[in-house]
Amino acid sequence: MRFFKTGLVKGILVGLLWWLIGFMLVEAIRVVMGLPPQWNTSLPAGPAVPQDTLKWIVSGGLAAYEPAMVVAAIFFVIGFMLGAGTMSDWLKWTRGVDTPMQHGPKEGQPSWFRYLSVDYSHKIIGVQYGVTAVILLMFAGTLALIFRVELAKPELQLTLFNDNLNWFNTLVSAHGMIMIGSILLGVGAMSNYLVPLMIGANDMAFPRLNAFAYWINVPGALLLVTAIFIGGWNTGWTGYPPLSAQAPIGVQYFFIGVFFLGLSSILGSLNIVVTTLTMRARGMTMFRMPIFVWAAFSTALIQLTATQLIGLSFLMVAMQRILGLGFFNPGFPDITALAPAQLWEGGGNPILFQHLFWFYSHPAVYIFILPGLGIISELLPVFSRKPLFGYKWIALSSLSIALVGFLVWAHHMFVSGMNTYLRVPFMLSTLLVAVPTGVKFFSWLGTLWGGRIELKTPMLFALGAISVFLIGGLTGPPLGTVTTDLQLHDTYYVVGHFHATMFGGFVFPFFAALYYWYPKAIGRQYNERLGVLHFALMTPAFWVMSLGQMLAGTRGMRRRVADYDPAWGIDGVQLAVTIAAFIIALSVAIMVINMIVSARRAPKAAANPWRSRGLEWQVPSPVPELSYATAPIVVGEPYDYGLAGSTYVQFAPPTLAPVHSAGVTGGD
Amino acid sequence: MQKRSYGKHFVIVAVIVLVTAIITVVGLSRVRWMAAPASAQARSVDSLLGIELVAIGFLFALVMVFMLYSLVAFRQRKGEEEDGDHFEGNTKLEITWTVIPLITVLVLAVLGARGLTEATAARADEMTVEVTAFSWGFKFAYPEQGIEASPIMYLPVDQHILLDMNSVDTDVIHDFWVPEFRVKQDLVPGVPTKLRITPNKIGKYTVLCDELCGTGHTNMQAPIEVVSASDFDAWVAAQQPSTDPAEMASLGAELAASQGCAACHNITGDPGGIGPTWKGLFGHEVELSDGSTVTADDAYIAESIANPTAKIVAGYQPIMPASYGQVLTEQQISYLVAYIKSLQ
Amino acid sequence: MSAIAESPQIQVRRNRMGMWLFFVSEAFLFGGLLISRFFLWGNTRPELPQVVPLAITGTLLLSSFFMNRAETAIANDDRKTFQRSLLITALLGVIFFLGVMIFEWGWTIEPDGTFLLGNHIHPTSGVYGAVLYGMTGMHALHVVSGVVLILIIWNLGRKGKYSADDHWGVEATAIYWHYIDLIWVFFYPALYLIGTAVPAGH
Ligand code: HEA
Ligand code: HEA
Ligand code: HEC
Ligand code: CUA
Ligand SMILES: [Cu+2]
Repeated sequence: MRFFKTGLVKGILVGLLWWLIGFMLVEAIRVVMGLPPQWNTSLPAGPAVPQDTLKWIVSGGLAAYEPAMVVAAIFFVIGFMLGAGTMSDWLKWTRGVDTPMQHGPKEGQPSWFRYLSVDYSHKIIGVQYGVTAVILLMFAGTLALIFRVELAKPELQLTLFNDNLNWFNTLVSAHGMIMIGSILLGVGAMSNYLVPLMIGANDMAFPRLNAFAYWINVPGALLLVTAIFIGGWNTGWTGYPPLSAQAPIGVQYFFIGVFFLGLSSILGSLNIVVTTLTMRARGMTMFRMPIFVWAAFSTALIQLTATQLIGLSFLMVAMQRILGLGFFNPGFPDITALAPAQLWEGGGNPILFQHLFWFYSHPAVYIFILPGLGIISELLPVFSRKPLFGYKWIALSSLSIALVGFLVWAHHMFVSGMNTYLRVPFMLSTLLVAVPTGVKFFSWLGTLWGGRIELKTPMLFALGAISVFLIGGLTGPPLGTVTTDLQLHDTYYVVGHFHATMFGGFVFPFFAALYYWYPKAIGRQYNERLGVLHFALMTPAFWVMSLGQMLAGTRGMRRRVADYDPAWGIDGVQLAVTIAAFIIALSVAIMVINMIVSARRAPKAAANPWRSRGLEWQVPSPVPELSYATAPIVVGEPYDYGLAGSTYVQFAPPTLAPVHSAGVTGGD
Repeated sequence: MQKRSYGKHFVIVAVIVLVTAIITVVGLSRVRWMAAPASAQARSVDSLLGIELVAIGFLFALVMVFMLYSLVAFRQRKGEEEDGDHFEGNTKLEITWTVIPLITVLVLAVLGARGLTEATAARADEMTVEVTAFSWGFKFAYPEQGIEASPIMYLPVDQHILLDMNSVDTDVIHDFWVPEFRVKQDLVPGVPTKLRITPNKIGKYTVLCDELCGTGHTNMQAPIEVVSASDFDAWVAAQQPSTDPAEMASLGAELAASQGCAACHNITGDPGGIGPTWKGLFGHEVELSDGSTVTADDAYIAESIANPTAKIVAGYQPIMPASYGQVLTEQQISYLVAYIKSLQ
Repeated sequence: MSAIAESPQIQVRRNRMGMWLFFVSEAFLFGGLLISRFFLWGNTRPELPQVVPLAITGTLLLSSFFMNRAETAIANDDRKTFQRSLLITALLGVIFFLGVMIFEWGWTIEPDGTFLLGNHIHPTSGVYGAVLYGMTGMHALHVVSGVVLILIIWNLGRKGKYSADDHWGVEATAIYWHYIDLIWVFFYPALYLIGTAVPAGH
């Protein structure tokens, strides 16, 4: 069967083999060193009855073999990457074998084969990112539906949770982190597919690295999912120690999974930065780039740098767990008053973790939204037939959100016990982010004003995104002002806030982008009526969900609890939120069906169905293997709708085409 | 193409924005957001939140009305192929909508800083209560009244209280939050923290742990009673150790509720829990994981609570928190033993 | 099938930019470790032997010199010096690594054949152990990867893959090696020189 020859399947099989090797290796070393095979001898080595093995694993029994499990997980990732073939070119280079950059389908293989195997074309990789993102979204969403059923009424409903509340915490944590993984992949989908097309390049600067950066997500995501089934982890997506240092073994797979997702972010964003800076078409100055490229560029700058810190913070906890490095282990009731000599026995500080973690995870929320806001800015001019209002202001506001975003992390720590004098400066910097964000909003209004607005599905989602993100954004300042955060911190108000920002800043724009570029990528037109239905179901349902969460939160609903006090009078609200969640799920299902069915049955799409001026719309749909056989030359402004006779791009006469030399080594 | 004039549009939009803003703000202020306040600190929080709600309502109306109005007034009509008006931006406008929000957030920051100072200010004649959090419960001590450990927090009304807070050093991060008091603070192992409250309404409240702390987080809470000064004195006087078995058992039941034991132990006799059931435990033979058996007498139960890993019951993981030995007094353990004894 | 590629010069320019961006990224990792050191140790440091760390620091700096010599050599088509300098660099790198492992981490082989970790300081010796092992460990990991890269280009050089005007691989490895060196220049004083020395209690 051909399916078993795909990179995906080979990766998984080889990965599993390596997993086993890694596990055995550690056990062998232990035996050689004269240690017992079990790392934690106070835990049972195995289930009493063999039939219970599965139950034993699911309840976290493998914790007795934690170092072996950790090494095995890392081996799994390496094995996967080798098996999938992401590194074969590089390995050949180390032996001095040249490997020409090959593009196009492998001979004798059907086209679907490319999507399940390593392929260097950024258009394929973009689609791979996108599909993976949607799969993760559905998976994490399904987890949310499960725990929403529990929360629909006070008291415990599901026997799953009745037996062990750890399951509830595990589901919440997995929902949060896998959703965030899904966002990172969705961002990767948009920037990988769009940036080269929009700047008139035929591919990314480092295609092999690009493929590597995509594929490393797959074992990473598999580890995240595995974590649920080997004991789970009850720490939330934030993984604060000391809790995460004592959590079930699933937390290690969570750490390692996130670590590799982070590696992907770093390598992918490096590629985006180099591509944007060096591969623009002739005549495309920075201020003539499509606005999305600005957003992707700013995003990449954050991803490139901040991501290291989440990797580091999780690594430190992992090391504390298996090697006993006590970074976060105080060991004394009051470490603020320790004598230096006592630092030999303890002195770890749990708050250090929070600083390191949020130094990534706050900027990360701007990773989630900047590309989305870029998509909104990209679509509004097309569907209002007007120039983007204040192009430069919008471009620079992305950059300034990215930069100011680095200075606000401690607003998640107002009540954490950090030095109290830090609260006021961080309040100020947090509130300052509202200013560049506001510039975007008002410029969007300027773009709509006086246009000829056409409400196609992508435009509907862009407008929906504005309304939803507005709610999310405006509920930020009450959290940012310390006084009110003393009440609101870690309540469902925060949950409402961040679902609104993430839906408005990522989910809605991502869906808009999926609909908008669908004809370009697939070559067929999706079903417009189903698209509108998706929008009409999802938007009101989302409003109910997010506003309901906020109301529950101010009334006293804490985060990450399975039960609540009926006296607060939030039963009705909670039930409404749960119903809304199911409607959102239904609407997402409609979109997925629409896209799958349209890919086979729908009528062929025109090259430029939206009458866009964008570069990518000037070539046929779907985009040919070599996107720009003749080099595009930019001669005007990107968004000059309504200006008679203006052009954005011309195609050079063939003589000016770039050099196509086959078989270049180096690179990557 | 001829440019349209927008004067009329602006007037209409301005009117709608104003009306919508008023409706939104009034609507928002009508919603019962929070439980009635019960501390002096609540005022700074509530008044700032009120101001912020007004700002949110106004900005929301502003953006939404502009957007929806544009959709109606500037929609593409059937068969229309034309582009919209060509204007690329307006620097003056951009500066305006940079500066006005800038001023707004600066004002918010000043109000926020002021509110913070008010809500956290130290006062003269504060009474200290020591709060210790552990998985999964709270312990309160009154050094000035000589009360070592109480599962319930009694507070005299209108008295400034300083909470000296700590989490057991081998434990995880917890949090102290009473929604009616409007303030909150984490309790971090190794890093003592402080919180100030002045309860000003007599009544019963609940301290909630608002930081994820594992399996028992959902149920981690403790009762608070705000009482008159004279009732408080009476309570302090009544805190003499009890010796009557029935009273001891009922004090033990209260402790079991406030210490989070119920997260793992049931009293219904169901065998499926995380920890063994307590029903019928006393006096029975208990099988241990090393194969031996032991009779569950007073000493065994007391040891199981203070030092749970000393003897592990067969078939269970040794996950019972070790911190109880540190947070419970001997007196309290004897109450718990009396309670478990009573569950026959 | 079509091949998309640009001229080698353009690709090398991009590679160089990518390389530097990678360093910027890594700087945040090492910066995070340094910040943790100051957060946890404050103005103190554990009392540790001084001579060996100084010596291996010197070794690492010296290796950078040889790495540089290798790069200049290949730029002048001097293959013999190139190959030899590479080997010396790798050797010094290994000496540095062993120095960290044996003296700083204190691995010793007991008479009965088992390994013993930490004769000066143990990973579990409070935050002193944690930060010291964390920082030197992360750095050592980079050193090892650097040595592997050097050996790879040494092997490729042996096969005659590099020439005066086509040696991007050498250049990349060289900057990587200097970068690792530079990190140590920050780590060494933070671990061994700054702050008052606190002797172990036992
Ligand atoms: C996409 C993600 C995203 C985005 C964009 C934001 C944007 C903002 N966030 Fe949010 N936030 C999260 C995701 C996001 N957040 C998440 C996931 C958490 C919880 C993490 C966890 O604990 O699990 C969180 C938590 C969180 C907290 C911590 C709460 C707590 O736990 O106690 C705070 C506190 O300051 C905060 C503030 C803000 C602010 C001020 C903005 C600002 O950037 C918003 C700016 C936008 C506007 C203000 C609207 C538009 C502006 C105008 C119309 C102009 C005029 C406006 C004014 C003058 C006010 N957020
Ligand atoms: C992009 C990010 C994202 C998205 C889209 C969502 C979507 C949803 N979220 Fe989530 N959420 C987070 C990010 C996100 N969340 C994060 C970061 C946290 C914090 C975690 C933590 O505290 O650690 C959180 C926490 C969180 C909580 C708080 C839990 C707690 O603190 O106890 C709640 C509670 O209501 C919730 C609910 C929901 C619901 C109902 C949806 C719905 O919109 C989901 C709708 C469903 C789908 C989109 C799936 C579609 C399904 C199908 C189409 C069915 C087909 C499926 C198959 C065939 C398998 N989320
Ligand atoms: C994390 C869950 C957990 C919590 C919370 C918990 N226990 Fe336990 N407890 C256990 C487990 C598991 C065992 C069995 C293993 C053992 O003996 O340590 C146990 C055993 C016991 C036993 C011995 C029972 C027997 O059958 O022999 C007693 C008595 C006991 N616990 C009392 C308490 C009291 C009192 C509290 C609260 C103050 C409490 N436990 C809180 C998990 C818990
Ligand atoms: Cu303690 Cu939550
Ligand atoms: Cu934040």
